[in-house]
Amino acid sequence: MVDFEKINVGDEIPALTREPVHEIQLVKYAGASGDFNPLHFMDSVGKSAGQGGVIAHGMLIMGFIGQAVTDWIPNRSLKRLGVRFVNVTRPGDTITVTGRVTEKKVFDGKGLITCEVAARDQNGQVKAAGSFDAWV
Amino acid sequence: MGDKSALVGTSFPPYSFTVERGKIREFAQAIGDIKDVYLDPQKAAQAGFADVTAPPTFGTVVDMWGGPGFGELCKDIKANPVKVLHGEQEYEYMGDIVVGDTLTVNTTVTDYVEKKNMHLITLQKVYVNQRNEEVLKCRMLVVELK
Repeated sequence: MVDFEKINVGDEIPALTREPVHEIQLVKYAGASGDFNPLHFMDSVGKSAGQGGVIAHGMLIMGFIGQAVTDWIPNRSLKRLGVRFVNVTRPGDTITVTGRVTEKKVFDGKGLITCEVAARDQNGQVKAAGSFDAWV
Repeated sequence: MGDKSALVGTSFPPYSFTVERGKIREFAQAIGDIKDVYLDPQKAAQAGFADVTAPPTFGTVVDMWGGPGFGELCKDIKANPVKVLHGEQEYEYMGDIVVGDTLTVNTTVTDYVEKKNMHLITLQKVYVNQRNEEVLKCRMLVVELK
């Protein structure tokens, strides 16, 4: 449990490293989310788009970020989560989500923290980055 | 397409989506984010939810299954689908979303910026449940390359 008294600006949230992104995961995510843009499961479309093959849904990477955040704080504590999609993710990429507390304050009589968060691949390339606010 | 600034303030027809237990499980499994609060009603109740809730990015399921498809969205914002990228996504959580809720979504174009090489279109979505409570807001930045 994250404790407002004990948490400090600069504290890191526990890192989450996922198993490599797999084509099957992209197909599952397409079906689950309803995003059937063929760029995410047809190599030929990825190639003609200049990507060399399929690329992951940005929202899947945001899903990994949401996973890391709610592994750390309860779902009900999450007030806001926002990300920028910076680089594409390809099958085989191993994504690690990291973050740290950037602000801590009392808002509406409750403890509120803001954290920066980023998803990077095995080479350290940022795929998505942003921030979240959480009640603690 | 030079007249996109006229899009600002435009609203699109609302759509609705009922949150189903199997859809939450399927989405959680597709991400690989398996938590008790997404799967087990008792554990969800212990966490304060009326029933199982959904992962933080579930709004996209509501949009993609309940709303216009990608092609239609591109038409709505007068964008060429092969030039469109997802730039940013932000959710604001205002209330619980649990199994059985029916969410109705209103989409508005809130901003447009033209850059040298791209159009930046911001959409806002407000998700209202069957009790008329605003439970979720989304800001989505769509990038159309020139």
